[in-house]
Amino acid sequence: MRPLSRALVAFAATAIVAGACTGATSSPSASTGDASPSGSAPSASSPAEPVTLTYFTFSAVPDHLADLDAIVQAFEQKNPNISIEVQTAAYADYFTKLQTQVASGSAPDTFELNYENSVSYANSGALLDLSPLAAADASFDPAVYYPKAYEVFQADGVQFGVPAHFSDVLLFYNKDLFDAAGVAYPDASWTWEDERAAAEKLTDKATGVWGDFQPIQFFEFYKVLAQNGGSFFNADKTASTFNDAKGVEAAEWLIGKLDKTMPSDAFGPDQDSALFKSGKLGMWHTGIWMFSALKDTPFTWDVSVEPGNVTKAHQFFANAVVASTATEHPAEAWAWLRFLTSSKEAVETRLAASWELPAVADQSLFGSYLSQTPPDNREAVFDALSNIVTPPVIEQQSQMQDIVTQALEKARLGQLSVQDALNEAATQVDALLQ
Amino acid sequence: MVELTRTSALTGTGLRKVHWGRLASRAVIYAALTAGGLAMIFPFLWMLSTSFQSAGALLVPPPQLIPSPIELGNYAEIASAFPLWRFLLNSLGVAAVATTLQIATSAMAGYAFARLRFRGRDALFLLYIATLMVPLQVTILPLFVEMKYLGLVDSYGALVLPSIASAFGTFLLRQAFLGLPRELEEAAFMDGAGHLTVFRRIVLPLALPAIATLAVFSFVASWNSFLWPLIIVNSPDLMTLPVGLSNLQGRYATAWNLLMAGSTVAVVPILIVYVIGQKYVIRGVTLSGLKG
Repeated sequence: MRPLSRALVAFAATAIVAGACTGATSSPSASTGDASPSGSAPSASSPAEPVTLTYFTFSAVPDHLADLDAIVQAFEQKNPNISIEVQTAAYADYFTKLQTQVASGSAPDTFELNYENSVSYANSGALLDLSPLAAADASFDPAVYYPKAYEVFQADGVQFGVPAHFSDVLLFYNKDLFDAAGVAYPDASWTWEDERAAAEKLTDKATGVWGDFQPIQFFEFYKVLAQNGGSFFNADKTASTFNDAKGVEAAEWLIGKLDKTMPSDAFGPDQDSALFKSGKLGMWHTGIWMFSALKDTPFTWDVSVEPGNVTKAHQFFANAVVASTATEHPAEAWAWLRFLTSSKEAVETRLAASWELPAVADQSLFGSYLSQTPPDNREAVFDALSNIVTPPVIEQQSQMQDIVTQALEKARLGQLSVQDALNEAATQVDALLQ
Repeated sequence: MVELTRTSALTGTGLRKVHWGRLASRAVIYAALTAGGLAMIFPFLWMLSTSFQSAGALLVPPPQLIPSPIELGNYAEIASAFPLWRFLLNSLGVAAVATTLQIATSAMAGYAFARLRFRGRDALFLLYIATLMVPLQVTILPLFVEMKYLGLVDSYGALVLPSIASAFGTFLLRQAFLGLPRELEEAAFMDGAGHLTVFRRIVLPLALPAIATLAVFSFVASWNSFLWPLIIVNSPDLMTLPVGLSNLQGRYATAWNLLMAGSTVAVVPILIVYVIGQKYVIRGVTLSGLKG
């Protein structure tokens, strides 16, 4: 008995430790969902029958629940037989829950996906092909959407989502600091060199003022790589090319700012925004989603399109709303998705609440948005769209993003040279492509 | 004083050395413990401090540990803008029911594995213990599908059901029961008691410290549980506190002061459980868990 008990204790202890260790790293594996690309024709039959659709979203919490509710009510008023049941989760937890639901065949009827993750969901057959529904809808015209935003959610002739909203990243700058340092404001003609020169003049370590902040992670890297004329993958997407000379130069552009014009200790959550809001940061590369949070700063600030190097490039983040192949109500789901993304009510609600930007083409709808200040140069949001680059996507998207971000972090902390870090990441990303 | 010095001088330098040596080692131990204690409590103080800061004050570098001015409004805001009490009640209810049921099943299973003789008992026990090796992430999908077929997705039942049987709890209580002297039970059997009576009247009362330990572990596990409630519950009415609080985190920015106010509320019940169960936790683990 005794040896057995002792063995058991040791065994259980290992088990607990093993459980604790895996808990931190593993995530639920999503098996591919129902793989039949069911193009079930829209059944416009029996419109009177009450239908409940679920809609799962990450972009409503914590600040826009009431706005989403307003859109839902407007939709239900026009479609009295359909009621929408909203489910929410924070972005950080959203995909954990969605994967489980999709893999177990209980996917919500309609849900939200960001562009980067949409590809793997589409490939797994989890998303309903909306093309036949759109074609059957006589009053629908795809031109209602901003063309690029509509196109990115197509693959192999399948429209697997409609664009709900988009955002881009601009160069934010503190005008007061520029005035105090006697530096000219950024404009569309700026290059990296101009940014570097201005940042050096703005930086005053004695008063804790820094010239520049640009996050060092996957999303900034793919953009500066494009600005430097590089490409992430080779043409047929079989190997990484981001570790070539252009890639190294792009990463060095980010990392070279450290301690010269950019604080090396502001990489925690929200630390960059705290720095900018406290008036201690001259320039800041961040998204237009910060507009409302910066409304009441005691200094004046504005935005500009980003400086380029070999060429100009801006990030483009689009979110789609999609329907599940498992939904029993494809026609109703289409009606809801269409309303949510392009109806006058939804567009107006979003704009009034600064809830990202609806991806609609009609610029006249943005009048109220463009007239708001700050920033004075709000047009930059749309100017940036003339040279956008979408993030590189592969099926194992989150792994790839983590690999690249971790490599950049090693280079940032000086654990590896930029070249070695990128080489290491390229090898790992290539393994994902196999 | 003079007397004292003289005595120590008389007793010789050897003793004095020992005395100083002991003092020094004690000082080192106290310093290490104090540093460890501070390191442990610091995140809690930081949370508490953040929960009393205004959103603006949080953004002024360098961060201040003592908030000035002290902002009490965060607690009011989070309670009004957010069904905090509902989440708290859900968490309390789920944790209480899950703990009670888990103790009941673990005690019965532990008794069977410790005292009943049947073929394949130890093999079965080993198999059951082996399930401790399987992390929740692996079983979550089949568990979800199971709940789906039971029609329990998005219900209190689904929150409680998966945690009512626990391999860890069974193991803990089996070890505790094995440590009890058999003679007491044998005497009871002589007097005509059955297993049920022995279990209820003798084994359970004697194993109370171990049961209290399990209660604390189980309550804390249920209270902190995040992944399962996140996945199985959709309606805000059923959300437990950790899941509800996670909804306060925005994709781009988070109101940390509100989140920390909510987290502070979430920590209080755990502290109470710990204060009550503290001595049992330590005694229970040494009594049962690590006995050879």
